[in-house]
Amino acid sequence: MGDVLKRTVNLIRSLHGFPAFQSKVKHMLCSTALSFLGPAFEVVGRHVPEFRKEIESWEEGRRFALRVLPKGPAITLEKSGDMIRYLGKGLKSPHITLSFKNYDSALPVLMGIAGSHQAFAENRILVEGDLAKTMEINRVVNIVNAYLLPGIATKKVLKRAPKMTLRDYINKGKVYAGLVPAVVRHLI
Amino acid sequence: MIPHYYQHFCPVKILSGHNAVSNIPFEMDILGCRRAMVVTDKGVVDAGLINLVREAFADSDKEIGYVFDEVLPDSSNRLVNKLAKLFEKEKCDCFLAVGGGSALDTAKGANIVISEGTDDILLLQGNEIIKKELLPMIAVPTTSGTGSEVTKVAVIYNEEKNIKMAFASDRLYPRVAVLDSRMTMTVPPKLTAATGMDALTHAMEAYTCMQKNPIDDVFARAAIELIRKYLVRAVENGKDEEARLGMANASLLAGIAFSNSMVGMVHALAHACGGVCHVPHGIANAILLPHGLEFNIQSIPRPIAELSGMLGGSIEFMEEKEQAMVTVSLVKNLLGRLNRISGLPVRLRDAGVAEDKLPAIASAAINDGALAFNPVEVSYDEALEVLKKAY
Ligand SMILES: [Fe+2]
Repeated sequence: MGDVLKRTVNLIRSLHGFPAFQSKVKHMLCSTALSFLGPAFEVVGRHVPEFRKEIESWEEGRRFALRVLPKGPAITLEKSGDMIRYLGKGLKSPHITLSFKNYDSALPVLMGIAGSHQAFAENRILVEGDLAKTMEINRVVNIVNAYLLPGIATKKVLKRAPKMTLRDYINKGKVYAGLVPAVVRHLI
Repeated sequence: MIPHYYQHFCPVKILSGHNAVSNIPFEMDILGCRRAMVVTDKGVVDAGLINLVREAFADSDKEIGYVFDEVLPDSSNRLVNKLAKLFEKEKCDCFLAVGGGSALDTAKGANIVISEGTDDILLLQGNEIIKKELLPMIAVPTTSGTGSEVTKVAVIYNEEKNIKMAFASDRLYPRVAVLDSRMTMTVPPKLTAATGMDALTHAMEAYTCMQKNPIDDVFARAAIELIRKYLVRAVENGKDEEARLGMANASLLAGIAFSNSMVGMVHALAHACGGVCHVPHGIANAILLPHGLEFNIQSIPRPIAELSGMLGGSIEFMEEKEQAMVTVSLVKNLLGRLNRISGLPVRLRDAGVAEDKLPAIASAAINDGALAFNPVEVSYDEALEVLKKAY
């Protein structure tokens, strides 16, 4: 049975259009994940005081982008007042750009399977721009991950999973409740 | 432990020997170069080291186009642009950097300016942004510590914006590294100790950081064993040729290890001590190394325990954490010894750090790129705690 399955999978993979199809699926997954991640910065910022404290010292208007090389999707975000605003898909003249080398490098991070610190360590992310500011951005990404991902995933993804208090869990609930409307708002 | 993914690259040809500098003109021939721009500082010239280079050229058909001896402890964009202009005016075709990290950084910066055809390199900051092929560069280190003769980074101070610009690219590797025992012979004992501890920190952090991998482990291990054998000897007797060459090799090996697997919290804290209180890099690393290792034992006791054997400690079937503490105390012993023979400070308070500056150091440290590779997350409070212990 296993043999039949293996042969079938191999057959599908050897089909002429399969690599291109697989690449489209990866693009779609990355793109969808980024559509959630962008608005998540706004929603987490609204509900989590720790997040607002972290970006307090950032200069107004700092723009950063996440993208997938060479032609993958991208999102741009901007510090504005006490929050980080999602400016939408694409590169919108960012000061700092974090680029994943390819879809395979990006997917584990965007799907919450691997952490951004691991991606940095493994040379899966290239940085354009100021390195110290990138460290600050990385810390904020970690906070967003902590509130976005289920507890079990944060243990794997973050170097040290935060100890969540009851208040933090309530905030996490608010983030989940606020996320879908925020994503929809940016889609229309 | 095999990491999930890692990379290793070192395209540098290495010449090591008591008269290795003599072979530089021959190497230029292989590289297709004729006229070298020597990049160095006044201290190196005053120590008579450029004379050794001139003597090597006198025996060959290659030339020194110009000796640029204006390198300062921190490389700046003004200096880099000036060097680039001189390079073109003097019709040179390669860089010969003779000095410490900043001579190399200055040469690398000028190389970027020339190859990219811009005098504003701010936009080229970051990782693998430099797309043009650079001119060949030969590196001759005059201290044993930074390992910059085998690294792909350059840090250049931007005077207008008051920021440090960092560049990392596979194109920034020198083509040749020349280790010659004569080039480090005049380094005074305290500086020999400090730079040697920088090399030890590179090796130990490479061996214990997130990107630790089987290839760099080999380099780190070899470096630590050489440091154990030669550091005290080189500090006690600067004229000991074998010890000097041994330390030059240790520094290079540690450089290969950390430029691939990176460093960690000790370097993050040391960079911050340098930025806030101008503590020399090697001294800050020396003071902070045992404290950083001790902090990281909570998550990676095993590799830290393994370091004790490389430092000459016996392995007595102890628990990993106990054995890791043996490593910490061996490093402290080494520091104590270096303190007695050279006056190397072992506490931050003795290195010109005021206690009220510790919070500023802690906040700078948590924004330092090196921290991303530390195996344990370090918060502001924890960084401050480690600094207090080292104070
Ligand atoms: Fe260093």
